[in-house]
Amino acid sequence: MQLLLSSICMALTSAVIGNAYYQKQQFYPAVVYITKSNASMAVIYIQFFVIVFMFGKLLRKIFLGTLRAAEFEHLLERFWYALTETCLAFTVFRDDFNPRFVALFTVLLFLKSFHWLAEERVDFMERSPVLGWLFHIRVGSLLTLLGILDYVLLIHAYNSTLVRGPTVQLVFGFEYAILLTVIASTAIKYVLHAAEMRTDTPWENKAVFLLYTELVIGLIKVVLYILFVVIMAKIYALPMFVFRPMFFTIRNFRKALNDVIMSRRAIRNMNTLYPDATPEELRQSDNICIICREDMINHSKKLPCGHIFHTTCLRSWFQRQQTCPTCRLNILRTPAVISTAMPRAGDEAAAAAAGNAAPDAAGAQPAGGLPVPAPAAGVDGNQARANGPLLAGQALPPSFADLFGDANGLPNLARLSVPPPPVMPMLSPFMMPPQFGYFSPMPPPPIPLDLTKFTDEELRAMEGHQREQIEQRLKLLQNINLMLDSAGIMMSQYQTLASRLQLTAVPPASAAAPSVEGAAGSGVYDKPSTSATAMAQLEAHQVTPTATAPVAPPLPAEKVTIEDLGADADEDDVPSTATEAVSLPNSDADFEENSSELGELRKRRLKFLEERNRFANEHTQAE
Amino acid sequence: MAGSALRRLMAEYKQLTLDPPEGIVAGPISEDNFFEWEALIAGPEGTCFEGGVFPARLVFPPDYPLSPPKMKFTCDMFHPNIFADGRVCISILHAPGDDPMGYELSAERWSPVQSVEKILLSVVSMLAEPNDESGANVDAAIMWRERREEFNAIARRLVRKTLGLPP
Repeated sequence: MQLLLSSICMALTSAVIGNAYYQKQQFYPAVVYITKSNASMAVIYIQFFVIVFMFGKLLRKIFLGTLRAAEFEHLLERFWYALTETCLAFTVFRDDFNPRFVALFTVLLFLKSFHWLAEERVDFMERSPVLGWLFHIRVGSLLTLLGILDYVLLIHAYNSTLVRGPTVQLVFGFEYAILLTVIASTAIKYVLHAAEMRTDTPWENKAVFLLYTELVIGLIKVVLYILFVVIMAKIYALPMFVFRPMFFTIRNFRKALNDVIMSRRAIRNMNTLYPDATPEELRQSDNICIICREDMINHSKKLPCGHIFHTTCLRSWFQRQQTCPTCRLNILRTPAVISTAMPRAGDEAAAAAAGNAAPDAAGAQPAGGLPVPAPAAGVDGNQARANGPLLAGQALPPSFADLFGDANGLPNLARLSVPPPPVMPMLSPFMMPPQFGYFSPMPPPPIPLDLTKFTDEELRAMEGHQREQIEQRLKLLQNINLMLDSAGIMMSQYQTLASRLQLTAVPPASAAAPSVEGAAGSGVYDKPSTSATAMAQLEAHQVTPTATAPVAPPLPAEKVTIEDLGADADEDDVPSTATEAVSLPNSDADFEENSSELGELRKRRLKFLEERNRFANEHTQAE
Repeated sequence: MAGSALRRLMAEYKQLTLDPPEGIVAGPISEDNFFEWEALIAGPEGTCFEGGVFPARLVFPPDYPLSPPKMKFTCDMFHPNIFADGRVCISILHAPGDDPMGYELSAERWSPVQSVEKILLSVVSMLAEPNDESGANVDAAIMWRERREEFNAIARRLVRKTLGLPP
């Protein structure tokens, strides 16, 4: 096909030239005749392109040999884009559109395509099993030749711009500068690949060098593009034809920058925090790095999740993703826990175990997520320490004392009207110091889950799309929901306390809030976790605008959550805590209402308590 | 020393030749280039693709296994997760960064732990159970969901075609 086309073209050209000679007989008139005739010129131009094409083929034969299918495909694709951009460039420089101009662009495109081919070839180095000396000579000479040509043309464009002011040479100068950067990065890559090939061990730092090369070259390119766009926009029009390559360059640069930053962090983590795998651990596992499928004899690292890989493999993976390749644990978000408890079993074994472990994990999780008696006591203790001295050391004004009496008296009345059930020791507030009448012994928020302490199986039980894994995830979410609910309840109590303190004495109140917060923040939630931070935010949000406005949590909702919590906590606590929590907002309201309404409220409250007690009664009897 | 990608591909080729999974044959098209493989996948039994042998081509990136390969069926295919030009669209073949359909979890994406064998096995299970939410081929997805008989008929015709039988 190509042969046919070029021979047709050849025939046409000879016909045109022959015709001119035949008509004019002499050289000069013949040339004049051809240049005057449009049809003849068209044929000559086509012949010119055919010659360029053939010359390109020749050069390709010399420097590259036969192209691979992928190379040819990429070349064609990029060529069409470049051609479109060239046509766009023509629109900007339509004033000085002449054959010389077209010729210059042809040369540019011609050189560009060789740059692309050289790039492809060098990329191919990494994947070819054997490379002869011919390859190195070819690539070396091609890179040198292209570099020299780029440089010469760049200097030429620079000089002509200096001499004649901004012309179309500006575009060429810029294009050759870009091509020079391409050649530079290709040459660096070539040197790196070639150096790696000479050694017998994988070269650890190659990937790092490549990444930094990309970053630096990307930066130079971005600067060049921006300069060019600014200059062009000032002198001519906005250069539409560089927008596409500029967009890709900027995107690549951003990606390279991001990769460098993230991988630096990940690799620093890896080098400093994660332990080298011991020979024992290697023996326990199948001793094959799952990334490169080779034995792990030399340096290997163990991630916080217990998976072991080659240091080099991890490093190159961290340049893409900062996760564990096996379990996708995000290592940047995970505090380094030097875990010795989880030696990695073989992958298959672990996968098999995941299925078996799922029910176990299901059983274990609620235990970890919900309040167990011991930490609950700890929280209470904390509260006592934080608030006890504060309240005790404070001289209570009469109004405060009055309120105390009020609150303490209430359950008494309740007890008189309704015979107390035998198993309700918490109902009488006299069993604890009177100050704590305002601190209902609520079940404290459950201890937040520490995700880093999950075992592999538990984590795996939460991955995937199977039903049981989704159930696991839902369970975790429910636990978090519970924590938030209970945090809300605690919050409302803090608020009542704060408002009380503010009403009686302002300075202690401001001291109380941080101390309460501090106790909650430091005492129990020493491990950062989402729910803990959420709670801290909640606290900060609700405490700071100190509670002049009484916040009365909606009763039914509160009841439900408390009972939810109670189901797993102490059964006996349930009714009493509920009553306490309920009575708090009411007594608070009492204080703000005038005394004529007090009786009415008291009656209502009594009625409510009665209902509560009856309910509790039934509850305990049912037990 | 050849690149790590090449060594890993050689290792996988060896593994696949020594211990081939059922219904799957795969290997480089030529031993000069380990980055382009051809695979033959037998249609899973008990599905409308049963009995067919479907050729596909795998193209590996130079940074394999850090990036996933591309897979393309070289025969006619009609399947919700296969583009009209034969490209396979399953999450295991997508790097965690990009998400062409915007619904995949990163847990199902490519990671260096995956392998050619795992890809091909997922393709087999994709043939057996199409995911009609990812519309690589929307026509096929709709037909699979709403007119299963018609879909099965087309699939059976394709099976006969891959075997070189008259439809």
